[in-house]
Amino acid sequence: MINVEHLYKSFGDLEVLKDVSEHIEKGEKVVVIGPSGSGKSTFLRCLNLLETPTDGIITFEGVDITHCKGKDLDKLRQKMGMVFQHFNLFPHLSIRRNITLAPVKLKLMSQEEADKQAEILLRRVGLLDKADAYPNQLSGGQKQRIAIARALAMNPEVMLFDEPTSALDPEMVGEVLEIMKQLAEDGMTMVVVTHEMGFAREVASRVLFMADGQILEQNPPKEFFNNPQNPRLKEFLSKVI
Amino acid sequence: MNFFQKIADEFHLNFIAEDRWKYIVDGLGTTMLVTILALTLGLVLGVVTAIVRSTHDKVCTEKGGHFFLRFGNVICKIYLTIIRGTPTMVQLLIIYFVIFGSVAINKTLCAVLAFGINSGAYIAEIIRSGIMSIDNGQFEAGRSLGLNFRRTMIYIIMPQALKNVLPALGNEFITLLKETSISGYIALQDLTRAGDLIRGQTYSPFMPLIAVALIYLVIVMGLSKLITLLERRLARNDKR
Repeated sequence: MINVEHLYKSFGDLEVLKDVSEHIEKGEKVVVIGPSGSGKSTFLRCLNLLETPTDGIITFEGVDITHCKGKDLDKLRQKMGMVFQHFNLFPHLSIRRNITLAPVKLKLMSQEEADKQAEILLRRVGLLDKADAYPNQLSGGQKQRIAIARALAMNPEVMLFDEPTSALDPEMVGEVLEIMKQLAEDGMTMVVVTHEMGFAREVASRVLFMADGQILEQNPPKEFFNNPQNPRLKEFLSKVI
Repeated sequence: MNFFQKIADEFHLNFIAEDRWKYIVDGLGTTMLVTILALTLGLVLGVVTAIVRSTHDKVCTEKGGHFFLRFGNVICKIYLTIIRGTPTMVQLLIIYFVIFGSVAINKTLCAVLAFGINSGAYIAEIIRSGIMSIDNGQFEAGRSLGLNFRRTMIYIIMPQALKNVLPALGNEFITLLKETSISGYIALQDLTRAGDLIRGQTYSPFMPLIAVALIYLVIVMGLSKLITLLERRLARNDKR
C-alpha cells in the first residue's frame, strides 16, 4: 500500500533520515519505536508529506506521491488520517464541528450526513455526550479520542499516529490505546510511532526500530522483543522494559 | 442675565440659529461614512497583506519559495514601510493634491482611500501577529485532513487569530475614527470641520467644539462596548 524507497530528509545541515526503505501492506499495523531524535516522527510525517522528502520515492497505492502538489496532495491526505501528539483539536469549534468541518467543507457530505456520522464516531470513542462541548473542556485522553474520531471522519485508508499517548497523563493512556486496538481489530492499516511497548507487543504485525535516521531492525513483535539482534536495539530495550 | 440664560443663548446661537445644527449632523454623517468605508478597505488590505507576509515567513526558506510569494512579500514590505513611516496627514494631502491633483475627485472617496490605505498597514501587522500566535499544529491538523491552504486559513487559522487580536483591532478602529478628524485639510466637511465652521460663524468656540468632542467620545464609548461584547461572545469556547 505504501512503499518508501531510499528516503532522505535533512533540515539544513542536520540529516534526520538516511536512506530509509520500507513497504507497508494493506491491513498491516506497523509500530515504530526508537530513541528520541531518531527520525521516527519525521519518517511518519513524510508519509503524508507534512515534511517534504529531500530525496527518495514514496508511492501510495502504486502512485508516486513524492512530488504531489495542490489538489492531488489534498486528495491524498484525505486518505491518510493523522493523529498528533498534541491532539491539535480546533479550540474555536465544538467537538461536533471539529469532526464534521473537513467532510462538510470538502463537500463530501452534507452537514446532516456529517452530523450523523459524527454521532456514530463519537459513540465509537465513547464520547457522545461531549458533542456540544469545546476542546478546552475535555481531558487529554478525551481530546485524543476526539482527534482519532476526527481523522476517521474522512474514512481514511491508513491511519498515522505520531506518539498519540506521549502528552497524556499516565491514567489516560489506556483509554486511547483501547480505541486504537479496536481500530486495529477492525482491519485499519496503521502506522504508529510510540513508546508504548505493551501496545507494540499486543497489536503490531511488525515492529520497526529506528535510530540515527535508519531502520536498524524489524520483526514481528514476538521475535522483535524476545530475540533482538542489533546491539542498539538490545541496549534500547534493556532501558525501556 | 443669569448663568443658565447665558448658556441657553449660547446654545441657541451655535446650534438653533440659521439651522447650524445641520452642519453637525452632516459632518457626523460624513465622518461615519469615511470611517466605515476606510475600515472596510483597511480590513481587506490588512488581511491580504498579513496572509502574504505570514505565509511567506512560514513557507519560504532561505533558498526555496514561490516567486509570486516572494514578490508579494516585497510589495507588502514596501507598503508597510512607506505608510507607517510617513504621517497620515501628509498621505492624505498627497493623495488629494498630487495623485488626484489634476482630476476632479469626490473628497469623501479621497479620504476613504487615504485612511483605508493607512489603516490597512497597521491592521496588517496586528493580524499578522494574530496568525503567528496560532500553533503550527493547527495548520498541520487542517492540512492533514485534506483541507487546502485557503480553507485552512479561513476556517481554522483566521477565526482563532482574529479572536486573539480583537483588543488590538478595536484600538485601531478607535484610532481610525479619530484620525478622520484631519479630513478638514482637504476641505471635506466632517464632524470636526463642522464644529470649526460654526465657531467661525459665531465667534463662540466653547459650545461647538465641546459638542464635537462629546460626539466623538460617545461613539468611541459605544464602539468599545461593542468590542467588549464581541470579545465575550467569542470567549465562550474558553470556558473550562
